[in-house]
Amino acid sequence: MTGTLTRTVCKRTAAVTTPDGAQLHATVEGAENAPVTVVLAHGWTLSQAAWDDVAGLLADRIADGELRLVRYDQRGHGRSTWGDTEITVDQLGADLAEVLDQLAPTGPVVLGGHSMGGMTIMCLAAARPELFGDRVRGVALVSTSAGDLTSDPKSAGGRMAKLKPGMLSALLAGARVLERLRNLVPPTHPRHQKMVRELLYGSDATEEMVLEGAKIMHASTLRSFLEFMPALGDHDKRENLAALTRVPVEIFVGDSDKLTPKRHSRQLTEVLPEARLHLAERTGHMLTQERPQLVVDGLLRLVGQAGTGRAVA
Amino acid sequence: MTSTIDAQPAASPGAGAPATREVRVAIIGSGFAGLAMAIRLRERGETDFVLLERAGDVGGTWRDNTYPGAACDVQSHLYSYSFAPNPDWPRSYSEQPEIQAYLQGTADRYGVRAHCVFDAEVTAARWDDAARRWLVATTAGEFRAQVLVSAAGALADPTYPDIPGLETFEGTKMHSARWDSSHDISGEKVAVIGTGASAIQIVPAIQPQVESITVYQRTPAWVVPRTDHPVKPWARRLYKLLPGLQRAIRGALYVFREFLVLGMAKRRAFLKPVGGLAKAHLERQVRDPKLREALTPDYTIGCKRILISNDYFPAVAAPNAELVTAGIAEIRPHSIVSTDGIERPTDTLILATGFHVTDLPIAERICGRDGRSLAQVWEDGMVSNRSSTVAGFPNLFLLVGPNVGVGHTSMVYMIESQVAYVDDALRTMETEGLAALETTPEAQEAWRALIAEKSKGTVWLGGGCASWYLDKHGHNTTLWPDFTFRFRRLTKELDRENYIGIPAEAPARREEAA
Repeated sequence: MTGTLTRTVCKRTAAVTTPDGAQLHATVEGAENAPVTVVLAHGWTLSQAAWDDVAGLLADRIADGELRLVRYDQRGHGRSTWGDTEITVDQLGADLAEVLDQLAPTGPVVLGGHSMGGMTIMCLAAARPELFGDRVRGVALVSTSAGDLTSDPKSAGGRMAKLKPGMLSALLAGARVLERLRNLVPPTHPRHQKMVRELLYGSDATEEMVLEGAKIMHASTLRSFLEFMPALGDHDKRENLAALTRVPVEIFVGDSDKLTPKRHSRQLTEVLPEARLHLAERTGHMLTQERPQLVVDGLLRLVGQAGTGRAVA
Repeated sequence: MTSTIDAQPAASPGAGAPATREVRVAIIGSGFAGLAMAIRLRERGETDFVLLERAGDVGGTWRDNTYPGAACDVQSHLYSYSFAPNPDWPRSYSEQPEIQAYLQGTADRYGVRAHCVFDAEVTAARWDDAARRWLVATTAGEFRAQVLVSAAGALADPTYPDIPGLETFEGTKMHSARWDSSHDISGEKVAVIGTGASAIQIVPAIQPQVESITVYQRTPAWVVPRTDHPVKPWARRLYKLLPGLQRAIRGALYVFREFLVLGMAKRRAFLKPVGGLAKAHLERQVRDPKLREALTPDYTIGCKRILISNDYFPAVAAPNAELVTAGIAEIRPHSIVSTDGIERPTDTLILATGFHVTDLPIAERICGRDGRSLAQVWEDGMVSNRSSTVAGFPNLFLLVGPNVGVGHTSMVYMIESQVAYVDDALRTMETEGLAALETTPEAQEAWRALIAEKSKGTVWLGGGCASWYLDKHGHNTTLWPDFTFRFRRLTKELDRENYIGIPAEAPARREEAA
């Protein structure tokens, strides 16, 4: 009628209900009949907003009908609820399968996972190997690890591993008080930003990036921090990644990543010899924010391959 | 009593006889205001009156707004007639079905239902100066009345947004005030346009059952916690036993709410704690920083109506919900396109877009002495004397007209104040033997100046928002900008000096008598 909006992008919000009753908040962008669906899984204490920069760079491709993009909040994160199951990374893999079944039931799929989101994909590969090569036609693993996160005592993960389960439950019990204390140093506080920058970002990161990331993390609950911590420590899929050898894999890691140092990505290439490894300089753990173009290029390569498809349709 | 017409027996509903029916008083509308007026007439022994109701039942706004979650923002102890306390309110803030049942029950108890003419929508009302009568045309026949009371209300006629393509939408489309309960929305993609008092109740009521809900927001509202709770059976027994206790609670609630006027109309600094409460409420209920920002108003609390809810924010932050702050560019047969070029598939479209408040549709249908309609006279904004009468419109009384609205307390209090005023006007006419009373332009001007003076510096004018309280000229023509007890004092008796009385025996030209 107005004629000003000739190019519109279809978008919808969906709540994916899992068998145990969790509701996963998902955003679906692009035409239903797009040739490939890209599904992105975010990391620990983040939310789908961590993919905003990547999604922004993909917007034109989505508008052109080249791909469909699905982002979702992992359980216990963002707007998603907790469900009734004990928190494990395997459960996140099952959730991803549910997201695929409900939001991308047909057609080729490219998966992208950042940090815990990458582990989520590995769990899916271990539990549902038949999906890979058939439905899943490509995988991007960003700043992630196949396991052994706590072995290096100097790493952030190693230090956190020293927290005993008893201490974790004690912290959980006091979560309300701790949440309040946490609000005393909001993301806009220089101390807060300094801490976040040192732990998660490389030297090229801008102030805006750090603030944006700090805000996303500040919005997550202490409960998700505490409940997922032991789950991440238990994650070990180094022996179960055979399914991933059947699809093109792109691996991204920052050279100054302190949470999942590059050694973890190297380990992945040992198990997945055909995977392409990208080492980003002066980049920390928040690679999706720090080098979104690098990730987008990788995803588009995978989308291109998925379209032509080396696996059976 | 100047009327020579015999008191009619109880009207039979739908008395659409071709002959014009003569009555002393015709009341338009049978909501809270119309019923209060009718009950007052009955109590003073008047039986020669009709309530002209366009629908098939009493209740007005509370009959029409049946959307899921419809409830009152004022505690029932206060939001009820002073003369008809109800010890059986099931909740502190009652929901629409209970309020509607209360109105129906009260209408029956006071025997005013018999005076109702249902399915009688007033299409035109004209003052016949020769006969000194109002000629009222309705969809159920014609009426001639000495006095016309318009109790049509401000929240009566829905407004529809002017969005390109709205008429091309092929899914289900409904206004919040015209809810179609036969349509099942479960599992649908639902869009709600508007985030006012109706939307804030609808959204949480339907969010759990729909597949997805998209809320289109133009301006966020300040929302404070709702202290709603069920009333325990023992408390209800106590109210029955001790009516004084319920009256005392009513009084306390009234006083408490009146304190808000201090902040809204007197010193805005007093609103700070209320704003703080609303801010803390939002921060506690919404974690997502972007959503929180989108839900944070940029105007002073109180400028637009303060909303109360404990479940609106959680519903907007639910896994299946999305809040859209970009404007709507167009509506397509099965989707809505926002100005940022995003198209969202939509099965059902709910228009929670409010009512004609500053441009009351009834004003177009009432024509005064010189043949001009109220709407024409009000072209430059609604004016009146004591919010109740208009120069050039003899024997017309407006209930819930200009500048009686309240956002902070019970509208019923204002209605009862106005009813007392009309009652005193009728008494004056009887004792003085008048055929008609008409207010003066000077009185109107004085009232306008008083309202303007009182509105100066209030949060509604200076709070940095555009609200439905203000007319297209930016004037406050809807709200009473002071303590409500001051309004009551000003309308306690008829300000006889502001009226011209036309004696009954004055010679009447008789050229056009119906």
